[in-house]
Amino acid sequence: MTESKTAPSPGFGLGLRPDHYSEFLARPQRVEWLEIISENYMVPGGKPRAMLDAIRADYPMVMHGVSLSIGSDEPLDLDYLAELKALERRVEPLWISDHLCWTGINAHNTHDLLPLPYDAPALDCVVDNIARVQDYLGRRILIENPSSYVTFRSSDRSEWDFLAEMAERADCLLLLDVNNIYVSARNHGFDPLDYLAGLPGDRIQQIHLAGHSDMGDYVIDTHDADVCDAVWELYSQAIAMFGPVATMIERDDDIPPLGQVIAELDRARALAETALEPVHA
Amino acid sequence: MPETLREVQQRFLAAIIAGDAGAEALIVDDARVGARKRLGIYRNNYRASLIGVLSDHFERLHAYLGDEQFDNVAGAYLAANPSTTRSLRYYGGAFPAFLARHFPGDGELAELAAIDWALRSAFDAPDTPVLDAARVGQLGDAWIEQPLTLHPAAQLLAMHFNSAAIWSALDAEHHPPAPVAFAEPVSLLVWRNCQQTKFRSLSVPEAAALSLLAGGASFAALSADVIERVGEAAAMEELAARLGQWLADGVLALAG
Repeated sequence: MTESKTAPSPGFGLGLRPDHYSEFLARPQRVEWLEIISENYMVPGGKPRAMLDAIRADYPMVMHGVSLSIGSDEPLDLDYLAELKALERRVEPLWISDHLCWTGINAHNTHDLLPLPYDAPALDCVVDNIARVQDYLGRRILIENPSSYVTFRSSDRSEWDFLAEMAERADCLLLLDVNNIYVSARNHGFDPLDYLAGLPGDRIQQIHLAGHSDMGDYVIDTHDADVCDAVWELYSQAIAMFGPVATMIERDDDIPPLGQVIAELDRARALAETALEPVHA
Repeated sequence: MPETLREVQQRFLAAIIAGDAGAEALIVDDARVGARKRLGIYRNNYRASLIGVLSDHFERLHAYLGDEQFDNVAGAYLAANPSTTRSLRYYGGAFPAFLARHFPGDGELAELAAIDWALRSAFDAPDTPVLDAARVGQLGDAWIEQPLTLHPAAQLLAMHFNSAAIWSALDAEHHPPAPVAFAEPVSLLVWRNCQQTKFRSLSVPEAAALSLLAGGASFAALSADVIERVGEAAAMEELAARLGQWLADGVLALAG
């Protein structure tokens, strides 16, 4: 019997956004945990830190970063890591995550989650960097699958094979963004069920759900719309395969009132419950 | 020799930041979308997201210029100043200076941007304890000899135009007044009080007093300076009123 790599699911959560601060402070909300964007609170003080502390008193939190850049072929930003660790001490999060991507190189930052070639050199780079981050933080981190629009000619394996090998070699956990799988499947023409089947289910600690923009020939990951039916369907299949996984909705633009986002989260609860029902003969 | 990951990333970055075509050869081409258009998605995302950040940080400047002009000016800034900051929060710090350099005939643009940026900086400045009436009470009489400074959220801006009035009209979604140059620059105090960011124009004596304190003067040193200029009776009245407001607004802190 091996020890479980993931922590038990804390249930259903939301990305904390400033638009919803007052509603979280005014009354208890039907949300079990909140995810913060780490960088938004890496500021000296003022309202962001005050809101963080006040809301953290009522909700468990997880920290989700966008600047680790584990895929950049250059040394990690140690100042960023130090700030991440300082925030970790303040928030005491359930876990910390970032993305399978790179954001820039040579001191230039695009602030975007840029794609990697899925080949051996990129895998070595990512595995080494995750190991360094985990050593520094003294805990496993979660790495999220990106949405992508290009395939590098040098790629010699699928994204899911890359993620599986990365997770095993670096001994890290995964944050599965179901919308990103859908977006990338449409953009690259793979079957999202092949993707799910290729993942190490025992390392999936968290799931993201979000909306996107359908441009016809391709799909852009915009987080500005409701979760679409095809992504809900894929989510149900993921839960049926992987069991209960901490799930949240990510909304970053055109943010509706909190009640509306919680209603969308309720749909995730209902779908997960159905997906986990025992099958009767 | 195949390219290293680092070389691949340098080419990809050049494609996104500078529109360099050299990265297309790195990407699998296809009939449906095509390598060029696929790279273009990243280029567009980069441009839209950073211009969006500038719009967020310089909201009143954006309102003043309108969408099209703001997009052009912000795009020019982005082309000249690719981000080197770790966090988007700090992207755009050089925008006011860029505007001053490129639009010397429209001085209100740089000033509107400077007000936006100062308010932004006040918003999440350090939570250094403010010098308020309660703190002065705790310190006792000796406090007047202690070196003071502006609270990290507070700063003084020199305005050569009626930019503060333009900013306020835009903030209230009113039609802004035409830009007017002042005969003498006016100091604007930007600060934070109870998590609310604010600004107000200062009289010449108040600006001089806060400049002294910003430089580390004690209240006793400030008092001596004011007495020398206006005489003791007038100085006491003036200083008492100002100190009361500074303590209530939370614009001062103990130095060091």
